[in-house]
Amino acid sequence: MEKLKRLAINEEGFAFDPETGNSFVLNQTGLFIVKKLREGLSEEEIISEILKEFEVDEETARRDFYDFMEQLRILGLIDNK
Amino acid sequence: MSEIKVAVSGINAVDNPGPGVGVAKSIKEWNPKAKIVGLAYDPMEPGVYMKWLIDKSYLMPYPSQGADAFIQRLLYIKENYGLDAVIPTLDAELPIYIEYAQRLKDFQIASFLPTKEQFRLRSKERLNSVAQKIGIKAPKTFSVIDYAGLRDALKEVGYPAMVKGLFYKAYKVYTYEEAVEKFNEIVAQWGYPVLVQEVVKGEELNLVGVGDGEGGHFGFLNIKKLWITQLGKIWTGVTIRNPKMISAAENFVREFKWRGAFELECIYTPEGEVYLIEINPRFPAWVYFATGAGVNLPARLLMASLGEEPPRDWDYEVGKLYVRFSDDFVTDMGLFQRISTYGEV
Repeated sequence: MEKLKRLAINEEGFAFDPETGNSFVLNQTGLFIVKKLREGLSEEEIISEILKEFEVDEETARRDFYDFMEQLRILGLIDNK
Repeated sequence: MSEIKVAVSGINAVDNPGPGVGVAKSIKEWNPKAKIVGLAYDPMEPGVYMKWLIDKSYLMPYPSQGADAFIQRLLYIKENYGLDAVIPTLDAELPIYIEYAQRLKDFQIASFLPTKEQFRLRSKERLNSVAQKIGIKAPKTFSVIDYAGLRDALKEVGYPAMVKGLFYKAYKVYTYEEAVEKFNEIVAQWGYPVLVQEVVKGEELNLVGVGDGEGGHFGFLNIKKLWITQLGKIWTGVTIRNPKMISAAENFVREFKWRGAFELECIYTPEGEVYLIEINPRFPAWVYFATGAGVNLPARLLMASLGEEPPRDWDYEVGKLYVRFSDDFVTDMGLFQRISTYGEV
């Protein structure tokens, strides 16, 4: 989470890591999830926020959320469980 | 500001550029009245023709032709054009400048260079001990002189491995056969020993700075290369601030009382470890990045060489983008004729 917190992210979803120089482009949903993770919300809380914010059924929201988390893990932005 | 005359080498702004043009741009930005003297080793070095930046150019004898000819050439420039300071930027010529720094100073040609002992730290054989002293790691490195040594070293580091010359050339190899081929290539061109080095996975980060010779410094710039050419040269890059790398650089200037320009090349692993890959005792070719980001390191080095106290602030903005680009211009053949026949233009 420390790595995610140090990212400089703008409103368009462009994220820059000031310690490594890596940059990432987040789509609207990705940006939403990263913001909630940085606010310290739990995984279940974030899924419930996604359901409120986007027109999506729970199964899809849950699957997309965990897919996205896996991508963050692969990029080394969050620690392995 | 006064009309100082500063000699700069490495004005070969080609696909593998020297740092000279970046240094010249930086000096002119600091003092537009400064006159830049380009020191070239070949009449075709582009800097010779960039008259808006490099006011006067001279062909230099190769350092391998001996120190006498080299120093005499600098004194000739001093006498005929005027010369207050020199900023050498190429590895091969640094030993002469370091050896004769005092003599040049006696002739009022100032410089701000590392000592002989500091210069030796750049040897890749010493990476481990330097890294240890500045609180970071170094990849496992073995110095080998024959095939048996090569095989043993490769057993230790595994594949892929780096096969490197002591000062120049580095190849990544995936098989023993490839390692032997590169070993022979390096020996034929640069001699023994050859280094076999572990490949550390992570982000390659760089830092340029100027040490004050007393344990402090006149500024750092920490960057990540975003896009490199086939020769591994930066094409775009971004300013960063990696606390571990910056602290290693602070330890480096403090521990060795580094004097003059330097560049550190490191690998930052996903686990957050910093590995020292290379120390360069001079400015890198992308040194203008520092100037553009607000830390004019070449001007600060020049001030230090002239006995002035340079600024020490280096609070540059993180996320500044460096873009190198190709450009061209047309000039007169007479310039080529003059540099070829008279050795100056």
